[in-house]
Amino acid sequence: MSYTITGMCNGCGACVRICPVDAIQGEKEEIHVIEEGLCIECGVCGRICPVDAIQDQSGALCVRIKRSEWEKPQFNNKKCMSCEICIDSCPVDCLGLSEVSDQKDPHGYPYMENEKACIGCGYCALECPVDAITMIVPEPEFSGK
Amino acid sequence: MSEGYMGKILMVDLSTGTINEEIIPDKIYENYLSGTGLAAYILYNMIPAGADPLGPENVLGFVSGLLTGTGSLFAGRWMAAGKSPLTGGWGDANCGGNFSPAIKRCGYDGIFFKGISEKPVYLYVKNGRAELREAFHLWGKDAVEAEDILIRETGAKSRVALIGPAGEKLSLISGIVNDRGRMAARSGLGAVMGSKKLKAVVLNGAKRIPVHDRDEIRKLSKKCSKWVRFQLPLPPGSMMAYVGALMRFLPTQMAMDGMLYKFFLRKWGTGSMNQMSIEMGDSPIKNWLGSNVDFDSKKSISTNPDVFADYELVKYHCYSCPLGCGGICSAKGKYAETHRPEYETVLALGGLCMNDDVDSIFYLNELLNRAGMDTISAGATVAFAIECYERGILTKEDTDGLELTWGNSHAIVELIRKMIKREGIGDLLADGSKVAAQKIGKGADRYVVHAGGQELPMHDGRNDPGFALHYSVEPTPGRHTIGAQLYYEMFQLWKVVKGLPRIWPLYFKSGKYVADEKKVVMGAACSKFMNVVNGAGLCLFGTFIGSKRTPTFGWLNAATGWEKTPEEYMEIGERIQTLKQAFNIKHGINPGDYKLSNRAFGDPPLEEGANEGRTVNIEKMMSDYWKQFGWDARTGKPASESMTKLGINQVHGGR
Repeated sequence: MSYTITGMCNGCGACVRICPVDAIQGEKEEIHVIEEGLCIECGVCGRICPVDAIQDQSGALCVRIKRSEWEKPQFNNKKCMSCEICIDSCPVDCLGLSEVSDQKDPHGYPYMENEKACIGCGYCALECPVDAITMIVPEPEFSGK
Repeated sequence: MSEGYMGKILMVDLSTGTINEEIIPDKIYENYLSGTGLAAYILYNMIPAGADPLGPENVLGFVSGLLTGTGSLFAGRWMAAGKSPLTGGWGDANCGGNFSPAIKRCGYDGIFFKGISEKPVYLYVKNGRAELREAFHLWGKDAVEAEDILIRETGAKSRVALIGPAGEKLSLISGIVNDRGRMAARSGLGAVMGSKKLKAVVLNGAKRIPVHDRDEIRKLSKKCSKWVRFQLPLPPGSMMAYVGALMRFLPTQMAMDGMLYKFFLRKWGTGSMNQMSIEMGDSPIKNWLGSNVDFDSKKSISTNPDVFADYELVKYHCYSCPLGCGGICSAKGKYAETHRPEYETVLALGGLCMNDDVDSIFYLNELLNRAGMDTISAGATVAFAIECYERGILTKEDTDGLELTWGNSHAIVELIRKMIKREGIGDLLADGSKVAAQKIGKGADRYVVHAGGQELPMHDGRNDPGFALHYSVEPTPGRHTIGAQLYYEMFQLWKVVKGLPRIWPLYFKSGKYVADEKKVVMGAACSKFMNVVNGAGLCLFGTFIGSKRTPTFGWLNAATGWEKTPEEYMEIGERIQTLKQAFNIKHGINPGDYKLSNRAFGDPPLEEGANEGRTVNIEKMMSDYWKQFGWDARTGKPASESMTKLGINQVHGGR
């Protein structure tokens, strides 16, 4: 199964630029196409499309979400086994493994190394076998008037 | 629709440069799983009888496991497979790190190479596109340097398996390296890769791996992880030698529960056994001539686990491993960091050569990992060369001036540097001890310790006859990662597989050395089970925790949606074992020739030390083991009926 693009597409190319597996093609200002065999159903095209022209694998229309409101992984090191499944599952390679800070605990733990690259797909949380990751919308660092 | 596996392989012809995807029918996975089982199915069919292992007809496979990427734990092993240039028969080798999931993330269960490229190349796969790229700039570089270059060229998410200079120079004891120095080292498959002029396989994929019941897998994995993370406090590492000595003295033995070994692994890694193993008689000393008396605890103290822990910077976990038995260590000299030297490395370069210089072991560990040369075979070949020198078969003239005496760490380091470069005496030894002995002549073959050309690992069959058996009967001879009495005790298979003999918690040691039928029933069970494990891509150390605590069969059913019983999985293991044995027969191997060297089964027996006076009745054990599989008890050849019963004949008529 794969995500698809509807006739609403305005050919802006936002989805092409963010797709982590280069599955989307199309000329500027023309309707784009997702190559079914390459799509990994991460949904980021649906979250970024400014004209809501993307359908998910079940045919439901995706709705644009502001990038600052995309969910990000939060790690619970007490549950984490340092198994690195989450790091491998990330299609944009935004997670890193920490260095040891506490001599009593010589294991490294996953952390968000490159937050800007995160596409909020949630595959890290889905694949974690011990539920050590939850996806949450991060609080803004500063919320002024 | 496939679940658990990707249902496809990539076939690369290096002679023509063509790359094709092939669909693998579901029934193949149901009969052979993935991993080495899938590789056995492909290679048995593709490689013609009598093919030169270093020629274009040999096929080299890189396969992932059925459980890799499904949320199962310990599922980070990938396997290389091909016709071995070292043994002339079936060859495979197995490694951890992060390469295994990358194969599946690119959409394949395996990537296979046939033919020979005209120039050095590497395969690059990204987002469904595969291409061969020139590798002139990488040829001659060590495995760490070349991996760093490839990651700079292709991106940080790339996962790389490659050869070092040893594989390029077709050393028959070379392996395939990934993750900066981990190695699929045995069977000499680095030379096969080198013969194909294939420097590296670089994978960068993000495919989803289909899973039948993720909730069930999560439930099983959570339960398993609790066992793994449960840790009792342990005594100081220097006490381990005394534990080994105590085990040597006692007339009784406790059946080993793998949880105890798990405690050691989590704290110290495989190096936990460095001293203990010598003291209890598990590790061979002085090219299998010596014992704990010759290399006592004062000599081995330099390798006690606490010494290694002092060097450790961070634990190393392979993909999906909750245990973390590896470690990244600081090192003196040219290389600032190295993977913590594993038990096999320490003992092969240490006690086997009477070498107590731990700095030399750290340096050689990194040097050999970067060169892509098997540390076990390198250590064993050096030990053989030292014995030849001490006996006057090799002279100072032959060794380019090296004073090749027991424990001379400077000479050992220099000799291994020469082996990697194939320089002078190093060229003679770079293909392992059996080939070297043939070239030396003068009766040197009496001092080679091997099975089927493969140097033996650091577990002594005179202490645990199960090791002697598996060294001699496996289609990959001289392999320590399949079976032994110790392994059978830790697998605890009788708790989940009907009809297998149980082991009592305490027993008299003397019973261990009787070559009765129970021993081969246990041996056959280990072989069958490990074929399932290597089809699943699981780590041996994970399965040591016990088959109830590490739910191999439960994970397989949850990942695939099959409803197979443990007994049905064991039959799959039997099928894979029989097919690999049939591969050897097809390629002209006489299974009896894989019998390990006389010295290693106690002919003549040692006159002192932990294994004093012991001789393993190896020929009877081999024959009895073959019978367990329905193979000819005299020749070890699979009978036509056993092939038919397992459906092997039919399958191979059809491809």
